[in-house]
Amino acid sequence: MEICSLVVNARPERVAEVVSGLEALPGVEVHGGQAEGKLIVTVEDAPEVAAADTVHKVQDIEGVINAVLIYHYGEGDSEEEGNRESYST
Amino acid sequence: MKVTRREFVKTQAAVAAATVAGVTLPASKTALAADDEWEKGIRWDKAACRYCGTGCSVLVGVRDGRVVASQGDPDAPVNKGLNCIKGYFLPKILYGKDRLTQPLLRKKDGKYAKDGKFEPVSWDEAFDVMADQWKQALKKKGPTAVGMFGSGQWTLWEGYAASKFIKGGLRSNNLDPNARHCMASAVGAFMRGFGADEPMGCYDDLEMADTFVLWGSNMAEMHPILWSRLTDTRLTKPGCEVHVLSTYKHRCFELADNGMVFVPQTDLAILNYIANYIIQHKAYNKEFIEKHVNFTKTPTDIGYGLRPEDPREKKAKNRAKGKLTKISFEEYAKSVEPYTLDYVAKLSGVSKHKLERLAKAYADPKRKVSSYWTMGFNQHTRGVWVNGLLYNVHLLMGKISEPGNSPFSLTGQPSACGTAREVGTFAHRLPSDLVVKKKAHRDYAEKVWKLPEGTINPKPGFHAVLMMRKLHDGVMNCYWQMCNNNLQAAANLNNESYPGFRRPENFITVSDPYPTVSAQAADLILPTAMWIEKEGAYGNAERRTQFWREQVKGPGESRSDLWQILEFAKRFKVEEVWPADLLAKKPEYQGKTLYDILFENGQVNRFPFEGKIMDERGNAYDNHESAHFGYYVQKGLFEEYRLFNAAPEAPKKGHDLAPFDMYHKARGLRWPVVDGKETLWRYREGYDPYVKVKNPQVAAGDVYFYGKKDGRANIITAPYEPPAESPDHEFDLWLCTGRVLEHWHSGSMTRRVPELFRAVPYAPVFMNRKDARKRRLRNGSLAKIQSRRGEIICRVETRGRNRPPEGLVFIPWFDAGRLVNKLTLDATDPLSKETDYKKCAVRITKA
Repeated sequence: MEICSLVVNARPERVAEVVSGLEALPGVEVHGGQAEGKLIVTVEDAPEVAAADTVHKVQDIEGVINAVLIYHYGEGDSEEEGNRESYST
Repeated sequence: MKVTRREFVKTQAAVAAATVAGVTLPASKTALAADDEWEKGIRWDKAACRYCGTGCSVLVGVRDGRVVASQGDPDAPVNKGLNCIKGYFLPKILYGKDRLTQPLLRKKDGKYAKDGKFEPVSWDEAFDVMADQWKQALKKKGPTAVGMFGSGQWTLWEGYAASKFIKGGLRSNNLDPNARHCMASAVGAFMRGFGADEPMGCYDDLEMADTFVLWGSNMAEMHPILWSRLTDTRLTKPGCEVHVLSTYKHRCFELADNGMVFVPQTDLAILNYIANYIIQHKAYNKEFIEKHVNFTKTPTDIGYGLRPEDPREKKAKNRAKGKLTKISFEEYAKSVEPYTLDYVAKLSGVSKHKLERLAKAYADPKRKVSSYWTMGFNQHTRGVWVNGLLYNVHLLMGKISEPGNSPFSLTGQPSACGTAREVGTFAHRLPSDLVVKKKAHRDYAEKVWKLPEGTINPKPGFHAVLMMRKLHDGVMNCYWQMCNNNLQAAANLNNESYPGFRRPENFITVSDPYPTVSAQAADLILPTAMWIEKEGAYGNAERRTQFWREQVKGPGESRSDLWQILEFAKRFKVEEVWPADLLAKKPEYQGKTLYDILFENGQVNRFPFEGKIMDERGNAYDNHESAHFGYYVQKGLFEEYRLFNAAPEAPKKGHDLAPFDMYHKARGLRWPVVDGKETLWRYREGYDPYVKVKNPQVAAGDVYFYGKKDGRANIITAPYEPPAESPDHEFDLWLCTGRVLEHWHSGSMTRRVPELFRAVPYAPVFMNRKDARKRRLRNGSLAKIQSRRGEIICRVETRGRNRPPEGLVFIPWFDAGRLVNKLTLDATDPLSKETDYKKCAVRITKA
């Protein structure tokens, strides 16, 4: 399970456009902040799509000035558990 | 309603984001967040981010000895709960699959051999072989035959211990940090202009300025958290505007009100034009310059820091000269007079109205202006000059050292300021702005370190680029690279650094958590316990010192850099490295090791270790170094280091750090910290307590640049001079190198985070579509990029985040699979010795 949240800055006149761009992505939910131009967004892993890969797409949506991450929860993720193999030559 | 754990965590995440952004969410969205049952069993604690110089604080959640969650720290004044994409995946840097867990030595037939294969060895064997090599070199050639290349990513005490060991113990000044590649020009300009290193302002200016100007800084990608603060101000403050200058279009241009793409190197001319505009329009602050400024000029035609036999060096009239001469205001005005709007618009390629709009922003006495720059200014063969030219503009207007008016040099590494600059791990420096050249400074350092007079060598050591040349030439034979990846960083890999690493008589040690390009080219690899696998301290770009505790144990036999330096010091008997006459001044040191003298000196080892480090909430943490050495090592080193900055007799004033224990409680403090209070704006009465100490007659709210004896800052005139290598008919394109948001520096950490690797796996060559078409290339084609020094192959990117103009290409340097430093030229600023990674000439063909 991988879940994170972001604050996405958009110019006020482009908020609606950015929201629809966000909602078109899998596992993305917009929780509020339209009035301020600071969108509160969560991203979770969806079937076949890791949350992290979706996060990268957020930055590329037209009209997004900046996207910053706030919270990350990733317990139980197989990569997070990545085992420590010793280096051998 | 049955709530799944997933929904619960999601609500928690949304509430955290809303809190940070100051946004109120509908009650239905927050109802679930009150319960924190799921969080039980996670130990949360703060840590400074491992990456850039911004100095964000993150909360790290540990369960059963592993990091399971992280969050931007809502209590941190720097990032206010925000995190960038790299910070978001930060804990994953600990868990790359190829972490090094034991020392590896090149061996053949059971013995060290330069042409052998890496075999696992014990720490004892590793240090035995290494010490043997170092002692042979020392015996043959003396202290200049060995050296260490450290880091602006070292913790404060690691840099401090290294400085003591190399300068105080081995009596070599061959210690330089990788910060030479990113900060040295900024340092040079601070010292020349103000007599004291590091910015006068702080990040609070990001909310207080009316105009922001970015000079050679892609803040949106390289300092995203500062960019988000700047964005917030731009979008909420009426009349606020943003000017962006770069040699290609990048993400910051999205927000720019005045975006300017200029021809490389012409930033020198643009700054002189602004100064000329201010003078022509009599907009300068007459009272300020009369009271607080000296006018000076610097020698010109100073060469390019290349090897002395290079024709460009032979031609230079004043090679590497930098002594300032006083001039009058009128002479200064005359020196910038040629930089007219017409001339500079033509030279720089920036339109007249854009240049004029920029000049007006600086010249308007009612607007508060903050300027930010990073590698565009610093990695510049005239880096010290160009830093200085920007100070000239701020000083002419008196827009300095007060809220919102701030020329601000951003840093690339988490502790370039703290460890490289404040601790003084440069080849010419000692702690707290002291230098090895000055007898009084050496005397003070020797006194603090309890060393006999004359221990410290008065001659500066080899700087980063010179070290590569000296290894190449076989002058320096033992090199210990720690906490950086210089073989991927140092310019001109094929002709300088790689041959130096592999020269038969040289012995190269690389300490790293991962098998980097440097490690693979070394003779001995030492596995490093990194970041929160040890107790640490960093100093960020706004003079903020931040601490963290050890959160988890490093894997296998990995050990922190601090442990490695102290243990290696045990291998040297003082008789083996000091001449008899020096030792005779301290006969009680006879028979001791450098470790005994430097670290068990009654100062460093004076704080007992109780077996656990406790926080104020009752949580317990390990501290493997203290357990091993038997005292609270980090505290002892830090408190001794404070004798350089907080002791009443310290030679340079205004660098005070607070007592050790304060930092474990605070979210960092900005020095000088006097009576427990941090300093936000230096040199201004009312903010900086040292102003009154140095100038008791100072008027309320006035400035006093106490780094200089007469309290005046230097305006230093310098002309436009061309770069070391420009495109010609054979190599017809400019090459600029740099970074991308997803990767930090050479990518040794971020490329091991699967999500970041997937996002940007390889370095492309960003180029203009017309340039691509001319060479029959398209987006995604493979292109061969060649310079006079080497070649690499990259995929072409014409539609990406960076949009170069015709005639310039950009390649990021994070990719170990295509080493862009095969192309770059090892030209440096002759004053700061920092390499210009932003300008050299290449050609591109279809691969």
